[in-house]
Amino acid sequence: MKRRTFLKNTALGAASISVPFILPSGRLFAASGSRMADHVVFVAFAGGVRQQESILQRYLDDSQDYPSVGNIMYNMFDGLPPSDKIVYGTDGILSGDTPIPKLLSQTLQQQGTIFKEVNASTVGHYAGVNTLLTGNYMYSQGLKNKPSMPTIFEYLRRHQGVKATKTWFIGNGIGNSLPLLDYSLHPEYGSQFGANFLAPTITFGDDGEQHLKNAKIYHPEDELDPMYKMKYFLDNVWYSQGKPLPNIGNTEEEKAEIKQFVKDMFEKKANGTIAHPPSGSNSDGQTVGYACEVLKRFKPTFSVVYLSSVDGCHSNFTSYLQSLHSADHAVGHLWDYIQNNIPEMANNTTLIVSPEHGRNLESNNIVDANAFTGYDHSDANSRRIFNMMIGPGIDANLAIGNENNQVGDIINITPTIAEILGFKNEMMGAGLTASNNSLFDLI
Amino acid sequence: MKKIILLFLCFSVLVSSCKKDDLIYDLNQVNATSYNANKNKLKTIPQYISILFANLFQKALSANELLEITNCIESIGDKEVAHEIVLSNFMNKSGVTLPSDSLMRADVNAFIEQTYKRFYVRDLTEAEREFFLNFFESHPDVSVEMVYTAFSLSNEYQFY
Repeated sequence: MKRRTFLKNTALGAASISVPFILPSGRLFAASGSRMADHVVFVAFAGGVRQQESILQRYLDDSQDYPSVGNIMYNMFDGLPPSDKIVYGTDGILSGDTPIPKLLSQTLQQQGTIFKEVNASTVGHYAGVNTLLTGNYMYSQGLKNKPSMPTIFEYLRRHQGVKATKTWFIGNGIGNSLPLLDYSLHPEYGSQFGANFLAPTITFGDDGEQHLKNAKIYHPEDELDPMYKMKYFLDNVWYSQGKPLPNIGNTEEEKAEIKQFVKDMFEKKANGTIAHPPSGSNSDGQTVGYACEVLKRFKPTFSVVYLSSVDGCHSNFTSYLQSLHSADHAVGHLWDYIQNNIPEMANNTTLIVSPEHGRNLESNNIVDANAFTGYDHSDANSRRIFNMMIGPGIDANLAIGNENNQVGDIINITPTIAEILGFKNEMMGAGLTASNNSLFDLI
Repeated sequence: MKKIILLFLCFSVLVSSCKKDDLIYDLNQVNATSYNANKNKLKTIPQYISILFANLFQKALSANELLEITNCIESIGDKEVAHEIVLSNFMNKSGVTLPSDSLMRADVNAFIEQTYKRFYVRDLTEAEREFFLNFFESHPDVSVEMVYTAFSLSNEYQFY
């Protein structure tokens, strides 16, 4: 196993690599685990992805009773695309008749390890992402509540002393309580270890153009400094009487950097130079473009990119196929961009891809313009997903499990991220995750 | 009968003689709001934005704009950063109603009192007055916009 070789090779040097440093809390910290990579980018497909149209490459054959099979996610998976009834592409003469050209010379499957059949027990959007980020099935957690268990962001920041701008949660929109998932309400963790959330399609969309674009950038010494001095005085007075406010702990410098980033993005948008995928017209493509910009600017230790256009499957199966195809293109672009445009992250980043849950075996009664029926997420088929990881120390071209042999669970993802970034022992020590096993433990 | 009347009169004198008048000093009565004005509820994003807009523009924000700005704030995780961007965007718009810097400097005491009333809906303490008087003296370039920004971004302003 490459991972075992990697661990063996790094074991001797671990003590010397683990340089002690001071956490924000003031505690002396020494890393207990060696890192496999210094950066992790986790792409979560929201809205539910059926195994049948993704990794099983059955296109219309297993959903619409039309005998056309093939791979519409050919940047991620090996396999030839469909040759009949092409509706998954961009609009040419007919709607969806033009597939997006393949971006990567080598598929992500060839570059990494894929778990073909994984269990995901929660099938709601908020619950699904909550599980992905906390490593717990939050059966009793409703919408519009912050997670009760710590998120992976909080473990990372608390146990490795990582700055706020080194953890990002980039979402396609603000629906389904998504912004609430940047940190939990757990008393041992909480806001001070949270991630910087950003929903770029809104921040830099029409609403942002109206209400954020013309923001002033105040002079740091002449204007900001006296303003903050007054604010700190007012806040100190308030703390003696009132309640504290949750704060994710961006320093003044980090806040200034974020404000400058927002301003720069509006300029880049106006100039047409945002790092969008070559075919990035839908909101997932837009989100990935801005995610590339966040990665390039902040070089985060850990970032989550949440893509949700595939959720259209409830009522428009054709749109779902197009979204899957576009999402594959966007993920390929993201990986390509990291390797070729961010030298600090190239060859030092692990990419993890996972749907939050699957979709039904049986269709609903909603028919789209191609007479295709839609699929909700409520039966056993919705609990089937795939996982993929690519990066240093991870076996290339390795496939684990199959349709008849389920290996892995969605709750193995947070321990996997912790293991890659070297804080799995601390995370397991907290005893707050449903599983101690990472995906590596299942190989 | 005379005895009964005499006893009744004695009793009345005794009772009325024990009544104490309230002391009234030669000062005007002042109705002061409490130190933190009993603020213990966090404003929602729409509440914060609509109150802020009314404070700065002296008029109500439209429902559409309220929704759009709320979306913008929700799209940025660090609310301090989000509020600062939205607020500075407000400051760049025409129609924002601020006293002039010269008016502020002409009577700093009155300006501070009015600012506390405007943003915090309470009176300031002597310690707060002292801080701002000293601050204005040591920072001659501080503008009304900077003071209003500090109050608008402060934690007390997030509560009601």
